[in-house]
Amino acid sequence: MGFGDLKSAAGLRVLNDFLADRSYIEGYVPSQADIAVFEALAAPPPADLFHALRWYNHIKSYEKQKASLPGVKKALGKYGPADVEDTTGAATDSKDDDDIDLFGSDDEEESEEAKKLREERLAQYESKKSKKPAVVAKSSILLDVKPWDDETDMAKLEECVRSIQADGLVWGSSKLVPVGYGIKKLQIQCVVEDDKVGTDMLEERITAFEDYVQSMDVAAFNKI
Amino acid sequence: GPEELALLERLLGLPKGNKYGVQGERKVPVLQTNNGPGLTGLMTIAAHLVKQAKKDQLLGSTTEEKAVVQQWLEYRVTRVDGGSSKEDTRLILKDLNIHLEDKVYLAGNVFTLADILMYYGLHHVMVDLTVQEKEKYLNVSRWFNHIQHYPGVRQHLANVIFIKNRLYTNAH
Repeated sequence: MGFGDLKSAAGLRVLNDFLADRSYIEGYVPSQADIAVFEALAAPPPADLFHALRWYNHIKSYEKQKASLPGVKKALGKYGPADVEDTTGAATDSKDDDDIDLFGSDDEEESEEAKKLREERLAQYESKKSKKPAVVAKSSILLDVKPWDDETDMAKLEECVRSIQADGLVWGSSKLVPVGYGIKKLQIQCVVEDDKVGTDMLEERITAFEDYVQSMDVAAFNKI
Repeated sequence: GPEELALLERLLGLPKGNKYGVQGERKVPVLQTNNGPGLTGLMTIAAHLVKQAKKDQLLGSTTEEKAVVQQWLEYRVTRVDGGSSKEDTRLILKDLNIHLEDKVYLAGNVFTLADILMYYGLHHVMVDLTVQEKEKYLNVSRWFNHIQHYPGVRQHLANVIFIKNRLYTNAH
């Protein structure tokens, strides 16, 4: 987790995106999580990142009470979107370290950036070449999602389940299966990459929709 | 109407016992008091309850805050309750979405009666919005989701789902 480098424009954009549908970094009240991120910013976010700016001004208004806000300040890498790393305050700017020109002659006048880009591309090419033969392990999982009662809106329940997105997760077909007393369970197929998505994570995210979902079970699990 | 006032009473921690009636075609709520003619009107009764519960800060602390709270209470009664066509609803959501772009609460940084009554007033609208509409009025969705999680506000009302994994990333 993290927002990238919060002292850079890119990091602020991640923060802005994160805060578009959230009032606070964690939960629904201001906490030490907000203070931790607030203090990592060098300055108020620019006006075009208006979600971040809204959050910034709001947290600023709690400046006097910041010590008494709930929670514990954690490292920046503990907050924010799951698929981003925290790189704020990285001690050495790697651009400055490029005085060894590994891939060119000394006469060439190449800008630091072009050099870095070329090295990055070469590294990517190398890693792609070495990864090619690897086969990605996948599984096909059939999930049973049970509602609270026969009045639960199954269309909305399905919408919620399909809204769960993750790298390595693809939703398949689904059907409603009656289980008695007018109650129907949602049986939905998905294909997952084994090392990216596990049934624990799916269960956690599906049962998070507690207004619709009573429980989730794995009905079938087959290796592809 | 009266049901909403009952929810407000519970949120404020007031004991039950107030008697409510309705008046006229537009079903304006009336609070019957023991001595006197009775209070008429949602805003009036709500403000009275807030003061009864000694939570005056919910009406705003600074002069400006108080004015903004009144503005949105009036908006709730005239625009939200008054108009009910699809076009009216669209305009209301558009107004609120613009207003909430740089604010966490209707009055800015503090939770007030304006947020409470706007939440109750808009609940029936938000419950029926499609996923795309919730995405379109993103700031209203954020604010509504926040208010419905505020302790004591939602009570028995349905929890409106706002999907956190946005379907249209990088659309803004």
